[in-house]
Amino acid sequence: MVNEVCFKNIDKDKAWKLDVYQSTGGYNVLKKILQEKTDPATIIDELKTSVLRGRGGAGFPTGLKWSFMRRDDPGQKYIVCNSDEGEPGTCKDRDILRYNPHALIEGMIIAGYTIGASVGYNYIRGEFWQPYERCEEAIEEARAAGLLGKNIFGSGFDFELHSHLGAGAYICGEETALLESIEGKKGQPRFKPPFPASYGLYGKPTTINNTESLASVPEILSRGGQWFLDIGKPNNGGSKLFSVSGHVNKPGNFEVPMGMPFSELLEMAGGVRHGRRLKAVIPGGSSVPILPGEIMMDTNMDYDSITEAGSLLGSGAVIIMDDLTCMVSVLANLSHFYMSESCGQCTPCREGTGWLSRVVHRIEHGEGRMEDLDMLFDVAVKMGGNYYEREGGRTICALGDAASMPVLSFLKHFRKEFEYHIEHKKCMVARY
Amino acid sequence: MASIAHWIKSFTLWELLKGMRLTGRYLFSRKITVQYPEEKTPMSPRFRGLHALRRYKNGEERCIACKLCEAVCPALAITIDSEQREDGTRRTTRYDIDLFKCIFCGFCEEACPVDSIVETRHFEYHFENQGDQIMTKSDLLKIGDRFEDQIAADRKADAPYR
Amino acid sequence: MSDASTVTIEIDGKTLEVKAGVMLIDIADDANIDIPRFCYHRHLTIAANCRMCLVDVENAPKPLPACATPVMDGMKVHTKSARAIAAQKATMEFLLINHPLDCPICDQGGECELQDVAMAYGGDVSRYTEGKRVVKDKDIGPLISTDLTRCIHCTRCIRFGEEIAGLRELGATGRGENMQIGTYIEHAVSSELSGNVIDLCPVGALTAKPSRYSARAWELNQYPSIAAHDCIGSHLSVHTFRSDTNRIVPIENSEINECWLSDRDRFSYKGLTSRDRLLKPMIKMDGQWRETDWQTALEKTFAAMQDTIRNYGADQIGVLASPNSTLEELYLLKKLTSNIDCFNFDHRLRQLDFSHQDQAPMIPTLGSSITDLESLDSVLLIGSNISKEQPMLGIRLRKAQKKGAKICQINHRVYDLRMPCEVGIAAHYRNLVLELAAVAKALNIDSSLLPHAANTLFVQAQILEKHSQIAEILKNGEKSHVILGNQAISSPYYSLVEIFARAIATSCNCLFGYLTDGANATGAWLTGAIPHRDYNGASQKTAGLNAQSMLEQPRNLYLLHNIEIDYDCADPVTALSAVASSDFVVCMTPYVSSDMQNYADILLPISPYLETSGTFINIEGRVQTFAGASKLKNSEARPAWKIIRVLGNYFDIDGFEFNSSKEILEEIERTIGEFKGDNTATITEATALADKEDVIYRCSEVNMYHSDSIVRRSEPLQNTPEAKEDRIHINADLAKKLNLERATQVLVKHGNKTIAMHLAIDDTVANDCAWTSFATATSKKLGPMYGVIELEAD
Repeated sequence: MVNEVCFKNIDKDKAWKLDVYQSTGGYNVLKKILQEKTDPATIIDELKTSVLRGRGGAGFPTGLKWSFMRRDDPGQKYIVCNSDEGEPGTCKDRDILRYNPHALIEGMIIAGYTIGASVGYNYIRGEFWQPYERCEEAIEEARAAGLLGKNIFGSGFDFELHSHLGAGAYICGEETALLESIEGKKGQPRFKPPFPASYGLYGKPTTINNTESLASVPEILSRGGQWFLDIGKPNNGGSKLFSVSGHVNKPGNFEVPMGMPFSELLEMAGGVRHGRRLKAVIPGGSSVPILPGEIMMDTNMDYDSITEAGSLLGSGAVIIMDDLTCMVSVLANLSHFYMSESCGQCTPCREGTGWLSRVVHRIEHGEGRMEDLDMLFDVAVKMGGNYYEREGGRTICALGDAASMPVLSFLKHFRKEFEYHIEHKKCMVARY
Repeated sequence: MASIAHWIKSFTLWELLKGMRLTGRYLFSRKITVQYPEEKTPMSPRFRGLHALRRYKNGEERCIACKLCEAVCPALAITIDSEQREDGTRRTTRYDIDLFKCIFCGFCEEACPVDSIVETRHFEYHFENQGDQIMTKSDLLKIGDRFEDQIAADRKADAPYR
Repeated sequence: MSDASTVTIEIDGKTLEVKAGVMLIDIADDANIDIPRFCYHRHLTIAANCRMCLVDVENAPKPLPACATPVMDGMKVHTKSARAIAAQKATMEFLLINHPLDCPICDQGGECELQDVAMAYGGDVSRYTEGKRVVKDKDIGPLISTDLTRCIHCTRCIRFGEEIAGLRELGATGRGENMQIGTYIEHAVSSELSGNVIDLCPVGALTAKPSRYSARAWELNQYPSIAAHDCIGSHLSVHTFRSDTNRIVPIENSEINECWLSDRDRFSYKGLTSRDRLLKPMIKMDGQWRETDWQTALEKTFAAMQDTIRNYGADQIGVLASPNSTLEELYLLKKLTSNIDCFNFDHRLRQLDFSHQDQAPMIPTLGSSITDLESLDSVLLIGSNISKEQPMLGIRLRKAQKKGAKICQINHRVYDLRMPCEVGIAAHYRNLVLELAAVAKALNIDSSLLPHAANTLFVQAQILEKHSQIAEILKNGEKSHVILGNQAISSPYYSLVEIFARAIATSCNCLFGYLTDGANATGAWLTGAIPHRDYNGASQKTAGLNAQSMLEQPRNLYLLHNIEIDYDCADPVTALSAVASSDFVVCMTPYVSSDMQNYADILLPISPYLETSGTFINIEGRVQTFAGASKLKNSEARPAWKIIRVLGNYFDIDGFEFNSSKEILEEIERTIGEFKGDNTATITEATALADKEDVIYRCSEVNMYHSDSIVRRSEPLQNTPEAKEDRIHINADLAKKLNLERATQVLVKHGNKTIAMHLAIDDTVANDCAWTSFATATSKKLGPMYGVIELEAD
């Protein structure tokens, strides 16, 4: 059951072309919906049945999100696709944009139809030049084929789609910062409420979905929500793209059913490099708590199982680390990333990310003090809340939480390595 | 009985002898009179005498015109005017202490964030003309320059207790 | 009982019945519950970025910011619980890790919000041992000094620019720790309201440059006063260090200036300590200036006035007073002049057309209250650059515009009003009348009501789309306002402009009002500082000469009160020659200039505003009394009312025994009674419009930082780019026509004067129009504010 949804055509030559996509039934479901004027409520019900949960990281049910839009209210509404895939370790949306852009376009048109939006924006990460070009090509193809523009399939439904290339800020992956960025402003998250569904792009109701979520929609609607749900397991419907990276023999994107045991996924990625011992895994992108390898080997890859194991599925970026990895150095790297990607708006994150990063760097360079470890934990909690006690962060957006979770989890699981670093001023593991 | 004891005591000049004993004891004990000004009493590093304004080693005056000493002075003896110097730093254009008003409480020294205004060990001085009692900025800096070694040593000696 | 619009909440155990949807912090403020904050400000939008106001709300998974949490029924809030305090202390710790500990040299020290809050929520020892952030300071002009290392990124200054000033000058660049406030490309901020960011900044990152490092907050005495540079009368607090004014800050007053203050009102005080200050009375003897005592000076003045009356008649005395004079001064001057039968007394120094003065309303006012401007639907500004001339009204109109009001302007130049303008028409002073006629025609007004001179113009008027647009906007607005600005009042065709403006206002049922020059023009009309009427518009036995005629027909003796004739009159050249040719000139003035030394015979030093007490009446008719605040060292200057009082005594006039300005005000209240602003008037007399000619019309706007003698001497204001604006602006069409496209300097011929000026090509200027700023060193050499000029390449 691999490569069923977003990667359906991945093996085909020039999979990104319209004719290839159409040869496997592409745009049929859109045609059906538009011509039959399917009730949007039916579409939303189908999505609810499928339990498609947002693939960007938060895992919010897509059907529910769409149902928040008041379709019949007058005025402009927007559908926005979040292709600003900046989460370290994640590269799944890039491949959707590269190999299956039409699934995304079809998904967005259906979304537009369902929520009553006639304009869509696809916000593509600044570094994704090739995917951007593929996407633009695909939009051109679709427009030429009458799939975009006025009166699609003679249904009277108009939809226009624009690609917007970002400028390289991680924070623009946050939905409201992304909206600010499209509006031409500095990418800074907005305070919520109001949520985008009532006050979004240019102040109009807006729905923002991840690329993978939107690209999954056509397949779900053509083969039925129940089919999709059955691929995965209850409350964790469908298949999911996992970007496996790090110390594995065959890193890459794998579209596999939800609930697959981690050990199988690791097997698909060729196992740990050089046959070494699995030390730790970050199961959902750098912003989620790290888990020791032993725990991961007993865990299945779905939202609920990973939450139970003490982490989050996030965006599905699985970062594998073998026993030669120095955890202090990994954390130093991660906290440096959050320091330079904090937008600077809220005090705790602006000041806290820098503080954490500097202290971790100091420890890494053998200048740490034992009391630093408790302080690190405390600062992380004061910035992003305490994940282990279910306490929320203190900032407008989740970047504060995201930056604190690695610190908390590294200290929880690998405190010994930090202590060793402080005491002996060197790594516990041999460097190669 | 008491009257008999009293009679014997007065007859033998007991009281006088008792007094002479005290005199005698002091006659032979160590003398503590100090022949000022030829001799000086010992002084604490915290002695609060004449004021001085200090400089840094590179010659730059320490005072940053924060006016905390002026604000804390209970006798309103300090008057400061300040402005932005050409190099952009905050400096005094006037720093006057009226020594007739000053009660040598040392609050100015306590308030100073840069250890600029200090009270030295120097306490022997006089004025000859009306108006001389107002120590200007240049007077205070001169005092500071003159006693800097002593001032620095005193601060160092007192540092552990501050 | 609570209905749908009110909810019951509990803060710190206090049960409150409050309006639904209001933010928690507002409720707490009203209930006197203290919640620390930095980014929140009542008059700005909510940013919720400082996270200092985090409070503990029961059943919330995390502490919530009070500034952005709307109240909901049954909400239970704890602002002092362990969780709330822990969250606030955590934020404080984050704020302090990169904040420098340079409070002793920081001008904000002692009045710093961060300092205050840190006393309550900060720790004594920092756990942060890494290097601190240092940010390079930026030069953003002569008014604001920056110490950006101290910035805590509350973004109040940014939001102020966007929301209140209407000019995005400050912004944030960089992200995370590297976020910096700045202008992006280094330049001086040019907003006329920029000084307010000094008050808004909760720390010492933005402080006042003119008073930098000169005094600490705790040493200053505060005196309430009234601003004296525009007709608004903003409430302000004068902070004096020893006896000098050290700075000026606004006093909150929701009906006038809210919590803002224009830069002109904030920084003009620097002019008070100018070297030009006249310290002692002076007499010119044999062409030499000598210092003298008050008695001699006043006796000499009296003798000169009496000589003139005896030899030539009181009619040969001309009295000109600044519209910035206090009510008391003007009242006494009127009393003095009318008692000696001299009626040549005027304050309308920058007016050229007096033809309809007999029909003018009793007292010109705005026609509505300042707060009501916010609720307007449409506004037509005629000859007004309101954002610069009356910045406080600019703020109100901007608010109205944000609520959907449509702003139209007919000006010599389409001014940048810091808000989107629905229709903007640029026309030189002659065409401006025709544009108004066209708007009136588009409104289909009854032309028979117009006087003959206006009627012919009305008939000729061509209605274009822009005129119908304005007409539509005014007609459709439920609450509209037609405002005649300073430039309309000083127009050579003021009478025609007013006739059409009134006709337009009447036909659309609009409010109608004026914006006058100076701080007390309304008071001047009230006290009869005009040649043709007595107090409160009462009739007078004879009419004297108006300001312009007094100068065109030189008098024998001039008494000039608080004016510099070469800057403050509409026609500086005529004015200078008039005073030069007269026998005797008495100047009651706070300042002396070399020109003044040439034409004056006696100089009497008066205390300028901030040093004297008095009363101003603002444009909405609000009577505001203020007391003196500062005093110049070694100065013998006296309040002007005392000088006039003594002159009255010399003339032996009854009722000149005042001991304080308060007594004068009481007498004014007794004789004039209650102030009644009334804008109604029917105007039939008008100056005829000159024939169309193929010439260049010069139009002027009084430079905002040259409006009166104090402002002109304020060094920081003079160093702003605005004050230095002294070029002649023409549009590209005219430049092409005159072959001046590449010229940077031109020769300007106005009347018999020719001077060289820098040229600016500026397409906001009307066709065939040359726009200059007025009351500058250049403009005083150039003849009247309006007129026909010639341009050629230099």
